[in-house]
Amino acid sequence: MQLWQVLIDNFPRFRDGFLVTCQLVGVSFVIALGVGLVIAGLRVQPLRSLKWVGAVYVEFFRNIPLLVLLFISFAGLRRAGINIGAFAAGTGALGLYTAAYVAETVRSGVFAVGRGQVEASLSIGFTYPQTLRRVVLPQAVRTVIPPLGNITIAMIKNSAIIGAVLAIAQDILKEARLINARTFQTNEVFFWAAIGYLILTVTATVAVRYLERRLVIRR
Amino acid sequence: MGAEGTGPNVAASNGHLVVLDKVTKSFGATTVLTEIDLAVSKGEAIVVAGPSGSGKSTMLRCINALETIDSGEIFFDGKAISAAGKGIYRLRAEIGMVFQQFNLFPHKSVLQNITLGPTEIRELSRKDAEDRARKLLERVGIPEKADAYPVDLSGGQQQRVAIARALAMEPKLMLFDEPTSALDPEMIREVLDVMRDLARSGMTMIVVTHEMGFAREVCDRLVFIDEGAIVEQGPPEEFFKSAQSERARDFVDKIIHH
Ligand SMILES: Nc1ncnc2c1ncn2[C@@H]1O[C@H](COP(=O)(O)OP(=O)(O)OP(=O)(O)O)[C@@H](O)[C@H]1O
Ligand SMILES: [Mg+2]
Repeated sequence: MQLWQVLIDNFPRFRDGFLVTCQLVGVSFVIALGVGLVIAGLRVQPLRSLKWVGAVYVEFFRNIPLLVLLFISFAGLRRAGINIGAFAAGTGALGLYTAAYVAETVRSGVFAVGRGQVEASLSIGFTYPQTLRRVVLPQAVRTVIPPLGNITIAMIKNSAIIGAVLAIAQDILKEARLINARTFQTNEVFFWAAIGYLILTVTATVAVRYLERRLVIRR
Repeated sequence: MGAEGTGPNVAASNGHLVVLDKVTKSFGATTVLTEIDLAVSKGEAIVVAGPSGSGKSTMLRCINALETIDSGEIFFDGKAISAAGKGIYRLRAEIGMVFQQFNLFPHKSVLQNITLGPTEIRELSRKDAEDRARKLLERVGIPEKADAYPVDLSGGQQQRVAIARALAMEPKLMLFDEPTSALDPEMIREVLDVMRDLARSGMTMIVVTHEMGFAREVCDRLVFIDEGAIVEQGPPEEFFKSAQSERARDFVDKIIHH
């Protein structure tokens, strides 16, 4: 079987590429969630100036192609004398880009949390930031788990752009291209590359289902 | 019986826990409270009654600073609320509030609902907070519901948890905004019983309610509000028998005959 032979012959490269993609996705995910929550927080707290900071962030990162962000974060910064390396540039750009979508989604979840919840929290004696952190965001995040899952899956797929652009990020796609350049077994090679991404996206889907069952707020 | 001339010092020396001094509040062009004067002594339980839209909720919400007032002053425990600044959060922790819609945190268990404030704000250990919560659940009659979630409880049970949650902060004052209005009739009693015991234990309470039986049985004073002003106040029994103003008599007729 051609198909299996390609996998077996090039297994170490496929495996390494897969692991690099896992790392790219993992780090980007942490950045996206962390920054996204902070930006969502800025957008829903009462101070106008901070609201504005959040809005500018979202509009900036949502309205620039990821590809351009990647060029800026890697080549652009390097030209400016700041070399953060391909991995940091890639995960930074993908994480910050995805964070804009996370922020918007969490914000919609925050607005779905009733005014009564905020008042109950304030009347216990919580400050606004505490109310956000302890009462509003936990509920908001729970209600937006399904859309956050979609964003995560999009992010996994977008991670391929890093390998397509940045010279030294040896992710699934990059390894597949290298193997292809050597073997010319294009269909087989990219079939296995696709399987690599599928493993990640299906895992994410299952994880989201699980979280949904565990955390969903019954009302 | 009014609160004329009760400045902060007078308030403290008379043992008043809450004093509203010419409190005025508007939303845009609508004035909702007009120069409200009211003094509540420590340990007193008062009922606030009045037609819909008369400003009862707004008055309660001003007392724990969920609304800011336009003029006048509110003193709590001798301190002006408008001067509290950041201290407003500490102040709110001293004032328990119970809402018509319960407003329990749906993502937290009953026990967590009650321990959240004490662990985060009073910095109680988890164990102490849970002990306190279980005692309070005992007190409101549902110790077996500690690990349930709000959605699993009846309205009456949810409201009793909400009361326990407020009490867990050991407040000096409890505000109730129509705590039984969202309840099925058969559950009203169980909540009112808890409130009655609370009043008898010496808690200072301001209760907005249409439950005139409760007012009669439990409260020291009834305050009748109409169109944002206190029209009259006095012992509930007197109010029902011989309300002075026409508006109050209308109100009594409606309440008693419906
Ligand atoms: N946030 C707000 N913005 C604008 N108007 C408000 C606001 N809150 C209350 N009002 C208005 O203020 C008036 C008094 O409202 P409030 O809720 O205090 O009345 P209430 O006596 O509690 O009535 P009810 O018995 O129906 O609860 C009403 O006319 C209401 O429409
Ligand atoms: Mg009201």
